[in-house]
Amino acid sequence: MPISQELLEILVCPKCKGDIHLTPAGDGLVCEACRLMYPIRDDIPIMLIDEAIKLG
Amino acid sequence: MICVVTGAAGFIGSHLAEKLLDAGHTVRGVDKFLGNYPRRFKEWNLAQVHRPGLEFIEADLVDIDLPALLDGVTYVFHQAAQPGVRSSWGEEFGEYTHNNILATQRLLEASKKSKIKKFVYASSSSVYGDTQDLPMRENGMTRPVSPYGVSKLSAEQLCYLYWKEFGVPTVSLRYFTVYGPRQRPDMFFHIFMRAHRRGQAIPIYDDGKQSRDFTFCADIVDGNVAAAEYPGAGEVFNLGGGSRTTVEEVVRMVEQISGKKAKLNMLARQQGDVRHTAAALDEARSKLGFNPRVKLYDGLAQEWEWMQKIGD
Repeated sequence: MPISQELLEILVCPKCKGDIHLTPAGDGLVCEACRLMYPIRDDIPIMLIDEAIKLG
Repeated sequence: MICVVTGAAGFIGSHLAEKLLDAGHTVRGVDKFLGNYPRRFKEWNLAQVHRPGLEFIEADLVDIDLPALLDGVTYVFHQAAQPGVRSSWGEEFGEYTHNNILATQRLLEASKKSKIKKFVYASSSSVYGDTQDLPMRENGMTRPVSPYGVSKLSAEQLCYLYWKEFGVPTVSLRYFTVYGPRQRPDMFFHIFMRAHRRGQAIPIYDDGKQSRDFTFCADIVDGNVAAAEYPGAGEVFNLGGGSRTTVEEVVRMVEQISGKKAKLNMLARQQGDVRHTAAALDEARSKLGFNPRVKLYDGLAQEWEWMQKIGD
């Protein structure tokens, strides 16, 4: 089940509460300010700071 | 309508989410996948819930943008919590304050500015403690005997406070020992049935004569829906199964259901365990129309059947 636009709109970065955007591949949500990607696994956005992947 | 269910991948949250989705609501589920038991159980629960209308995120309620989460939402069912009486002592207590008290306060704070019609809080019979005054009544003494009970009572009091001060329409439901399919693997029936299935000895704390008011999960779900639709607020209701049974009697029932004799391993009573629980249901019956329907034997049979399905 794809993630609804509505759900994406209510999500923020749990660290800085700033905006996030979907990766082109749709496999994560990126916070540019924190340089973190929150992975999407099995259509579930994992909005946990500990699980976030650090971007280079 | 849009409903928020916190703890949506958990035992009760997943049953509730399913019921709401089947009634045609959109469910915005949040779950932190707390490490209190293996993740695969919660993933299994969530897979059962998966159907159109479900929006789900894995998140900590303390960190996310809650006002946005509550945007357009009619009902909040706050089921998420750090469970477990015995593990709430000592170092672990920080997890209880974070997940049970702070998360509830954040959600209530966000609810102040929302247009929600009801905030249903999943409280616990553990708020009563080891009272001699049975059945337990909502207006009776609350003196928890575990830090877990203290955390649930604190959050319940916050719910009342946010109603009184800010008009957040909260209702708290004190659950009495909930069981049924998807029961947490750290709960007695689950431990018992799992061991019994493997032919292993079953740990019984205390002498087996301790009694509980066991409540089937579907009845708890019905109680939640009734609380959401209830026109009042700022109130507390017991949700119990309607009959008190000893652990020993439960063992006998499971022996009947499974057709095999149980091996028992009697252990000492654990710190924080309550000797007896029994819910007075007059308030829930008269105001919510709550009427527990599932008899213990039938509910146990359903849990046993589920246990065969999930395997080891």
